[in-house]
Amino acid sequence: MDPRQRPLLRRRLGAFKVMTWGLVAFLVLIYAWLQLVRYWEFKQLALQQAVKIRPIPAPRGLVLDRNGHRLVDNRRALHLVIQREDLPTRPEVVASLAAALQVDPAALTRKIQSYRLAGKGRPLVLKENLDEAGIAIAERIRARFPFLGVEVAPRRVYLGDELAGHVLGYVGEVDEPLMKAKPDLYRLGETIGKEGFEASGNDKLKGLDGQKRILVDQLGTEVANFGQEDATAGRSLYLTLDAGMQKIAQDAMGQEAGAVVVLDLRDGGVLAMYSSPSYDPNLFLNRLSQDMVDRYLANDLTRPMVNRPIQGIYAPGSTFKLLVALAALEKGIATPQTAIYCAGKKNYYGRDFRCDKPTGHGTLAMVQAIAQSCDVYFYDLAARMDVDDIHATAEKYGLTERTGIDLPQEKRTRIPSRAWKKKAVPKDPKWYAGETISVGIGQGAVGVTPLGLARFYALLATKGKLITPHLFYGYRDDQSNELQPAPTPAFKDTPLDPKHWATLDEGLAEVVRSGTAGANPFIREIASLVPFSGKTGTAQVATFVDKAHYARQAKKLKDHALFAGYAPREHPQIAFAVVVENAGFGSTAAAPIAAKLVKYWCLDRLANPLPPPRGRMVDPFAPQGPEAAE
Amino acid sequence: MRERFRALDSRLLWVILALIALGTLTLYSAGRNTPAASIWLKQSLWNLIGLTLMLLLATVDPRRLFRYSFPSYLLGLVALAAVLVIGKKIGGATRWFLIAGQTFQPSELMKWVTLLYVSHRLGSKSADSVGRLELFGAVGLVVFPMLLIQRQPDLGMALSFLPILLLIPLMKGLRARWVVALLLLAGLGGFGAWKVVLKPYQKQRVLIFLDPSADLQGKGYQVNQSRIAIGSGGLIGKGFTSGSQTQLNFLPVKTTDFAFSVWAEERGFVGVLLVLGLFGLLLSRILDAAREAHTYAEAYFCAGAAGIFSLHLLVNVGMVAGALPNKGMVLPFFSAGGSSTLSFFLALGLIMGVLHRARVK
Repeated sequence: MDPRQRPLLRRRLGAFKVMTWGLVAFLVLIYAWLQLVRYWEFKQLALQQAVKIRPIPAPRGLVLDRNGHRLVDNRRALHLVIQREDLPTRPEVVASLAAALQVDPAALTRKIQSYRLAGKGRPLVLKENLDEAGIAIAERIRARFPFLGVEVAPRRVYLGDELAGHVLGYVGEVDEPLMKAKPDLYRLGETIGKEGFEASGNDKLKGLDGQKRILVDQLGTEVANFGQEDATAGRSLYLTLDAGMQKIAQDAMGQEAGAVVVLDLRDGGVLAMYSSPSYDPNLFLNRLSQDMVDRYLANDLTRPMVNRPIQGIYAPGSTFKLLVALAALEKGIATPQTAIYCAGKKNYYGRDFRCDKPTGHGTLAMVQAIAQSCDVYFYDLAARMDVDDIHATAEKYGLTERTGIDLPQEKRTRIPSRAWKKKAVPKDPKWYAGETISVGIGQGAVGVTPLGLARFYALLATKGKLITPHLFYGYRDDQSNELQPAPTPAFKDTPLDPKHWATLDEGLAEVVRSGTAGANPFIREIASLVPFSGKTGTAQVATFVDKAHYARQAKKLKDHALFAGYAPREHPQIAFAVVVENAGFGSTAAAPIAAKLVKYWCLDRLANPLPPPRGRMVDPFAPQGPEAAE
Repeated sequence: MRERFRALDSRLLWVILALIALGTLTLYSAGRNTPAASIWLKQSLWNLIGLTLMLLLATVDPRRLFRYSFPSYLLGLVALAAVLVIGKKIGGATRWFLIAGQTFQPSELMKWVTLLYVSHRLGSKSADSVGRLELFGAVGLVVFPMLLIQRQPDLGMALSFLPILLLIPLMKGLRARWVVALLLLAGLGGFGAWKVVLKPYQKQRVLIFLDPSADLQGKGYQVNQSRIAIGSGGLIGKGFTSGSQTQLNFLPVKTTDFAFSVWAEERGFVGVLLVLGLFGLLLSRILDAAREAHTYAEAYFCAGAAGIFSLHLLVNVGMVAGALPNKGMVLPFFSAGGSSTLSFFLALGLIMGVLHRARVK
C-alpha cells in the first residue's frame, strides 16, 4: 500500500463514478426521448402492425337459369396445406413428400423457401382444389406426413363447365390498375367478375363485404377479434337462359366454330347464347398455367376467348336479303310482284355478278326470290337503290346500333354507307356503285354480330318490335326462393308496314317449306312438326379468321354457314341466329342446328326437358343424391 | 461461518437481488408465447448457482485468488485455442464447448480472468505511474486473447476486453507521452490491420459494424421493432405480460439481446428509470469497493469490472434503443445465458470479497 498515491487513486475513482452516473443519465435521456417525447409515434406504429382490419368477403350471389337450375354455385373446395409452423426443414422429408405428391423435389423446395420468405397469415398451399382422387391420395399420405393439413375454402363453381362459358364469364382478383383507378370501389384482393355476366352483373351479384378488427402476431396469425361487422351475401339471381336450350346449342355446334343465339320474343330474354369453341370458367379460377394461356388466351387460330355472338362480326350473306327487300319495298322501287329474270349471272358496271345457281332461276317474284335465295334478284334491287337507302333502313330497324345486351364489350354491327366509307377508308373514300351490288346480298363491307342478326329476325317475327336482348331475369326472393321478375326492357315500336311484313314473312316460311332450307330432309321433318321460318346464308369469308393460317395449311377457305329465323311460324315464340364458321352452305350446316333448337323449344322441352347441369367439380361436403344439384 | 457471511456487503447484495428479480420477471414475460416458455426457470437455476458461487467466493481472501491468476490466464488461453479446434459451430461462429448438452462459452470467463491477471500484474508493483514494459506487457496480455476471440469470430466479445486495457493504466496513472504513444500505436495498428491483415469480407463486417443501417434487412429490422417496443411503452408501460410487441413476437431475440426492450415496453419509462438506477447503484458500489480495497490489484480489478459492466450496460441498453451500433452484448441479469451469468456472478463474488475484507480487516 502506497499512502502517497492513495488520494490520487481516490480522485480518479471518484471521477470514474461521476462518469458512470453520466452514462446512466445518458441512457435515461435516450429512453426519455423514445418513451416520452416520441411515445405517440411509436404507439401508432405498434398498433398499426398488430391491429389489422381484415375484410370479411361477402359470398357472391348464385346464378340460376330461368327455371331455377343452378348455373353458378358457391361450394367448398379442399386444399392440401402446411401451416407455417409445421414447414418441413429436413431435405430428406421434403424429398419424400415430393415423391408422395409426385412433384419435382427441387420445385417443392423452392416453393417452401419462397413461402418462408414471403408467406404471411395463410398456410402454404401444396395442392389446390382436390378432386375425389386427390382427397384419397391426401388422406393416404397424411398418415406418413402428419404436418399436412386440409383447408376448406369457398369456391365459385360453374356447373355447366363449357356450357355457357362466355355468357357466365368467371371471377378473379381485382387487377391492380383497376383498383388504383377506383380505390373507393374496390379493395385489394377483392374478388370481382372478370368476364361475361359475372363482370357485367358484378354489382348485382356482389354483396356487401364485412370487416373485423383483429390482433395479429408477427406471422399475421389472428390472435384476438375485437369485433366485426358481418358481410351481407350477394343476392342470387335468375338469368333468362334456359339450360336445356343452351345444352342443345352446345351439342349441336359440337366441334364446329361459330355462334348460336336464341331470343325469347315475349320479353327479349336470351334463351341460349353459345360461342364455339367455348371455355370452362372453372379453369380460370386457378392461376393460369402456360398450357391454359396457349390453349385459350393466346390461341389466334380459333380464338376461344372471343364471345362470338356479340363480338364476332360476320358477313350476313343471304340472311341480309330481307333487309334489302324491305328497303326496296319501303322505297317503292319494288313491290312483292316485281319480277326479275335470273340467268345465273348479271353484268353491272362492266363486271359480272354471279348467282348461286349457275343455270339461273328464271323469272322470280319477291317471295320466291327469298325462298330460292336468288342473288341476281337482290343485285337488281340494290342496283336500283343507293347504299345510303339500305343503311337508312337498317338504321330505322335498329340494326346499326348495339343491341344493349347486359354483357361486356359488345361489338357494333357494321352496315356500310357513304359516310362510313369516308371515315373507315380514308385512302379511298369514294363509294363505288358496284359495292352497293355486293351489299345487296350481304357481302362486301356488311358485318353483323349473330345477336344483331337475331334481333333483326325478332323484329320480323314480332311485326316490327325492336327488343332489347338481356340476360338478367330477376332476383331470387330470399324467403321463398322464388323469382322476383325484373322489369322487362321496353320494346321499341318501329313503323314496319304490315303489308311489307306479310311479304317477308311469307318469303321466310317458303324458305323452310320449299326453298333453300326445305331441300334438307331433316329440316322438312322438323318443319312438319313445327312449321318455322328462316333464311339461309352462305357468306364468303372475309374477316375474323386468320386467312394466312389457311393459306399455310393449303386448305380451301370455306364459306361461313348462316341461318336466322323464328319459330313457330304462327305466333312465334323465339327468334334465332346460327353461324357455323367455314362449314359451307347455310342450308346444310346452320339450318339443322336451328331446327334442333326449334324442336327442343316447341316440343321436347315440354314433354321431357333436359336435366340441369351437374358439372365435374366435386364438393366433398355436398349432400349426395338428386337434390344435390338443386 | 455465520459471522463471515454477516459481514457481507448488504447494499451490493440487495441491488443484485433486485436486478435478478426484475430480470427473471422480464424473462418470464419474454418467454411466453414462444417455444422457450420455461427459459425463466432455466435462467433462475443459473442465477441460483451463480449466487451460491458468488457468496462462497465473497468469503475468500481476494489475495489468494490473485495468486492463481497466472495459471488461470494460461488455462484460459488454452481454452480459447481449444474452442477454435473442437468447439461447436453455431450460426457460423465457433465460440462454444458442448458439455453434457450445455453450451459453455470460455471467452465470457476469460474476460474476467484476463482482468484478474492484468490487475495482479499492474497492482503488485508500486509506482505512481505505469512503466513502459508494464504497459506493453498489459497490451500484450489483453490483445492476445482478443485476437483469439476474433478468430471465432466474436468482435463484440473481443471489444468487451478493452475496458481492461483502458481503465487499469488510467487508474494507476499514465504519462502523457504514453497516452500519445498508445493512441499512435492504436492508429497505426488499426491502419495496418485494415491494409494488410483484414480480408475483404472482414472489412465489410467492420463497415457494417460501424454503420448498421447498411444491414437493414436483418439487424435493422430487429432494432426498428425494438424501438417501437420501447417507445410504445410510454411512461408507465403496457403492463406485465401485456406488451404487444413482445407477446405478439414482433420483438426479435427477446430473451437475450433484446430482453431490456421487453422490460421497457411493459414497464415504461418508470421501469427503465428503476433498472438504470439499480445499475447506477451497482456500478457505484463496485467503485466503492475499488476505493476501499486494501491492495492496488483489488482496486484495479474492481475498477476494471466497473468498466466491463458499464460497457455491457451502454452497448446493450443503447443498442436496443437504436442509439449505438448493433453488436450483440448481453445485459447482466436480463439476458438469458449460462456462461455469461456465471461469469458475472464470479466477478461480483470477488468484488464482494474485496468489500468484505475491507470491512473485517
